[in-house]
Amino acid sequence: MFSPTGLPECVRELEDLEKDYQQIQETHRLYKQKLEEVTKLQSSCCSAISRQRKKLRELRESLQQCKENHPTPNLSPEEMDSIAEIQESIKDKASAFCEMEAFLPKKNGLYLTLVLGNVNVTLLNKQAKFAYKDEYEKFKLVLTVLLFIFSFTCRFLFSYRVLDALFNFLLVWYYCTLTIRESILISNGSRIKGWWVFHHYVSTFLSGVLLTWPEGSLYQMFRNQFLTYNLYQNFVQFLQYYYQSGCLYRLRALGERHNMDLTVEGFQSWMWRGLTFLLPFLFFGHFWQLYNSMTLFRMFQLPECKEWQVVMCGCSYMVLFLGNFFTTLRVVYQKYMNNQEKSKKA
Amino acid sequence: MPQGSAEVLEEWKCLKEEYQKLQETHKLYLQKLDEVTKLQNNCSSSISHQRKRQKDMSHLVKKCRKGSSEEDVKMLDEIKEKMMTQQNVFSEMEAFLPKKNGLYLSLVLGNVNVTLLTKQAKFAYKDEYEKFKLYLTVIMLLCSFTCYFFLNYRFLDAILNFLLVWYYCTLTIRESILITNGSRIKGWWVFHHYISAFLSGVMLTWPDGKLYKIFRNQFLSYCLYQSFVQCLQCYYQSGCLYRLRALGERHNLDLTVEGFQSWMWKGLTFLLPFLFFGHFWQLFNALTLFRMAQLPDFKEWQVMMCGSTFLVLFLGNFFTTVAVVRQKLKTRNQKPKSL
Repeated sequence: MFSPTGLPECVRELEDLEKDYQQIQETHRLYKQKLEEVTKLQSSCCSAISRQRKKLRELRESLQQCKENHPTPNLSPEEMDSIAEIQESIKDKASAFCEMEAFLPKKNGLYLTLVLGNVNVTLLNKQAKFAYKDEYEKFKLVLTVLLFIFSFTCRFLFSYRVLDALFNFLLVWYYCTLTIRESILISNGSRIKGWWVFHHYVSTFLSGVLLTWPEGSLYQMFRNQFLTYNLYQNFVQFLQYYYQSGCLYRLRALGERHNMDLTVEGFQSWMWRGLTFLLPFLFFGHFWQLYNSMTLFRMFQLPECKEWQVVMCGCSYMVLFLGNFFTTLRVVYQKYMNNQEKSKKA
Repeated sequence: MPQGSAEVLEEWKCLKEEYQKLQETHKLYLQKLDEVTKLQNNCSSSISHQRKRQKDMSHLVKKCRKGSSEEDVKMLDEIKEKMMTQQNVFSEMEAFLPKKNGLYLSLVLGNVNVTLLTKQAKFAYKDEYEKFKLYLTVIMLLCSFTCYFFLNYRFLDAILNFLLVWYYCTLTIRESILITNGSRIKGWWVFHHYISAFLSGVMLTWPDGKLYKIFRNQFLSYCLYQSFVQCLQCYYQSGCLYRLRALGERHNLDLTVEGFQSWMWKGLTFLLPFLFFGHFWQLFNALTLFRMAQLPDFKEWQVMMCGSTFLVLFLGNFFTTVAVVRQKLKTRNQKPKSL
């Protein structure tokens, strides 16, 4: 910046620094003061919302009682109107409260409390939430590609139990981290359906059990099938991510989907618009899970089978197949029913 | 108008007014939140800018020092002192400004902010961490007791090992959060949790066999002993820390650790033999495993891996603790000299 020649420059620079230092202290003091105000406002908002919720619930009950005690013909039209208006308003208020709470700190659920403790994970503005969701998607993508390369290596290049163990550890870590990040997203207002979160816990468990499966003839029998299945799964997940994020982007721009909707490993209702081609890939993956579980149950019948991992993995794959298949089937069924209704009306 | 609906309408009017007030409070809250975020960014960038200028300044001071008069040197030293104080003030300020997560937390959590912005919140979080350690240690004590004395199934051992891996991983996450919030946990005591997680993971993959059965009981009784000592440590260390914090001699965010630290000379010296015994048990585990590697039936890589890991644990724990003892002896020897 400048090439000083001695003490006077030092002193001048120091005075400059002093001034700025005072300013920083002032700003910091102001910051702490405002922070305290914000914290107070946060707690007063939170308590006001819960108080209002309680009162609204009581009001709804008294309205119900009112309607029962004084059947409709006895009420004047104005009264009926006001009652209807009140009921509408109550519904609106409930959703307004949800929106307000999205920007107020929330207590962590059980899982996050166990893992993180009571550090607040609510992101307090829309951009931060969206950036966090974007980061989650990117994380999934990077790890999916990594897992694809790893399973390819284990399947076609190297055949060591140590590498398989490393691969399984990576799977366990990946699914655990997904569950943590998804819990944070749910805390921040993302609406991820039950099965799609739960199936990450099942996948963690499955990978964990595979981890403990000792090297042996039965393990060697199942290994290649397992690795090829993983290759296929990662490929499909990559496809899903790629096409789903494009589709979600388009739908969000049209205002038809919520900002915090995520790409998932299944088929959801909004995906009929252009992603129907993914369905056969998904069903094939589900039937591969069924095939894995059948293979394992057959292996269990063999005389050499003494490992508990065989039956445990078989059951886990069965659970995965049932959950995935029926959740996806329900989406197809709903679409079929909607189409039926539409053609009836037409 | 029927009695009921009049009341209802009254109540509704009240609620509507409260709702209006709530909407205004919320609007004000969002506005202030915005201001606070701007102030946060302002503070953070000014502090980092100022820090850079101070670094340039100290280079300048060093240059000026050479070939300056006695008085000038004194003045330059004063300037240096002042800058050091300012640096410390900046560190304290930054404890209450949001900070970017380190690599580990970014991988696991993403970029959610984990800085707790008030002293009480930080302290409450630290308390919760201690409680978590205590509960999990008791659970592991019970589990290893059950596995050692009652039930002998590889399946249950696997569950215990999974619990250990989960426990150590969760500790590393929580400790990373504590470090982000200003806790000064020494390097080895964080690193040894990663090593313990790795060790438990390797134990997890060890198949049931002759060699596993030879080592199993030793490993379980070692776990029992370790859990017992950790309970002791948690219990006595937290009491001691409480006392020292009240006297103002320790930092609020100092944690109980699985080792011996300098402040523990004030009343916790009795823990030292327990700790050293645990360290030597780790050495014994390592030697047992290395001896097992010489056996003819040896074919599992887990044996060598666990042996090396136990050795690393022993060396790290033992020498870190010995360093604390040496430090104490040195200060004790220096005291009579200064009298």
